[in-house]
Amino acid sequence: MTSERKFIVPIGPQHPALKEPGHFEFTVDGEIVTDASVRLGYVHRGIEKGAEERSWIQDLYLFERVCGICSHVHATAFALGVERLAGVEAPPRAQAIRSLVAEMERIHSHMLWLGVAAHEGGFDTLFMYSWRDREIVMDLLEALTGNRVNYSANVLGGVKCDITDTLRDQILRGMDQLEERIQHYLNVVTTDRTFLARTEGVGRMTREQADLFGAVGPTARASGVPRDVRVDAPYAFYPTVPVQLITDERGDLLARFVVRIKELFEAVRLIREILAHLPEGELTVRMPRRIPAGEVISRVEAPRGELFYFIKSNGGEKPERVKVRTPSLCNWGSVMQVAVGHKLADMPMILAGIDPCFSCNDRMIQLKRKDSRQWMTWEDLRQYGIEYYKKVL
Amino acid sequence: MTVEEHLAQAKKIVEPFAVEMASPDPWRLDVVILPANLIPVLQALKDAHWGYLSAITGLDYPPADGQEGQLEALYHLVMNGVVLTIRVKVPYAHPELESVCQVYPAASLYERELMEMFGFVLKGTPSTERLLLADDWPQGVYPLRKSFQSGKAQEEQA
Repeated sequence: MTSERKFIVPIGPQHPALKEPGHFEFTVDGEIVTDASVRLGYVHRGIEKGAEERSWIQDLYLFERVCGICSHVHATAFALGVERLAGVEAPPRAQAIRSLVAEMERIHSHMLWLGVAAHEGGFDTLFMYSWRDREIVMDLLEALTGNRVNYSANVLGGVKCDITDTLRDQILRGMDQLEERIQHYLNVVTTDRTFLARTEGVGRMTREQADLFGAVGPTARASGVPRDVRVDAPYAFYPTVPVQLITDERGDLLARFVVRIKELFEAVRLIREILAHLPEGELTVRMPRRIPAGEVISRVEAPRGELFYFIKSNGGEKPERVKVRTPSLCNWGSVMQVAVGHKLADMPMILAGIDPCFSCNDRMIQLKRKDSRQWMTWEDLRQYGIEYYKKVL
Repeated sequence: MTVEEHLAQAKKIVEPFAVEMASPDPWRLDVVILPANLIPVLQALKDAHWGYLSAITGLDYPPADGQEGQLEALYHLVMNGVVLTIRVKVPYAHPELESVCQVYPAASLYERELMEMFGFVLKGTPSTERLLLADDWPQGVYPLRKSFQSGKAQEEQA
């Protein structure tokens, strides 16, 4: 007997599954979801409007703060777009460093996701291990740029951090360590029986659906859609170090795990390639303060997929309009359609499967002590932390 | 297929509907069309499996020199390295466009953004509920129109 009455399960805005606020409504018939809707905007900050009221340089920092996880790709997309408007090209060494930071960011983002997704699947050991190993790349990002999040590696016309020989060796050592761990994770997610029971055949999105709903990034590639901006329209240093496209035909949650983990291998390979082919030379070129009138589209491959910037200048010191379309928005559209027909209990995993953007904590590495004018180094702060907790315990 | 071939294919499909065509970058095609042709042109592109709808940008042209205000919607379609932009302008007085969800179902989220940020009226769109703005945001106030001033801008003027 089917009932005419609908039962709606509201989830959010604050809830344990996702670390960022979002509101979902699932209409269910027994255990099976028959309709799904999403309400976003709880962390809407009006950045597009804010950009129209700030200078081009201020906007670089503003857009870097769209996302705490993939901040670098936002700044890169904006910088590449504005540079094209101004008819300026950043030097090859700067382009290489942009791609290098982007791949390191991809590693940190995918490993962060791996942990969160494992947690949603009730596999907290995997969550803790992957986040522990993620610290390797977080430390490298910090050594390179001075920050764990919002690295601020970009300036309009280039980058502001350089690679020394010591740092290069440090990064290569980190990559060796990570590669070993990534292999371990690939083995775990493809062989652990309880984990496979939560992922195999769950949340399947066919290639036709992925195409129709406009899914992007690993979500699309896990459904066999060959879509990657780094391959389709190479930018920054990718024309010099071509990216190997990774796809999987299965389209289920397992495929999304496999694609992202294989992309970790690819990122490690790219980082080694970039360091092997790092051009010598300047880090920046001069940028005009006023940007000539015109419109550009700037697309880059964020960890979650295609990031789209539309930038319009009226020839002044501030942009006329900047439109940002983040990959999560595309993937929300697709996942809400795919959710229908699945069990309510699978929803957390299916939602986490597209890697919706989560906030992460930021930390200071340098601080001014009250009693002195000295800056603390990272090592000092680390030691301070250890001593502090010894006292507390 | 190469960039040139994708561009040539797109050109062939949109040509019958185009009022104006331009190529701002070697891998881009900008096409101005009349609002009535929006669904036919997108349907033709979809039937030919040309790309996917990547984003919709809204632009505001406030009234100036006795000219009435206009809104423009830019539908960006992406095929590998090529971006095709379909541009449609509507006046403030009748900011009406046909919803494109019948062609691209996932466009619902983009359309909700377009409605609340610019005040477009999208006929046949599946959901007109707020997506991004707060529930108590006043009706008829569209933050991405040029006439809307943020707190920062008001402070600077005062």
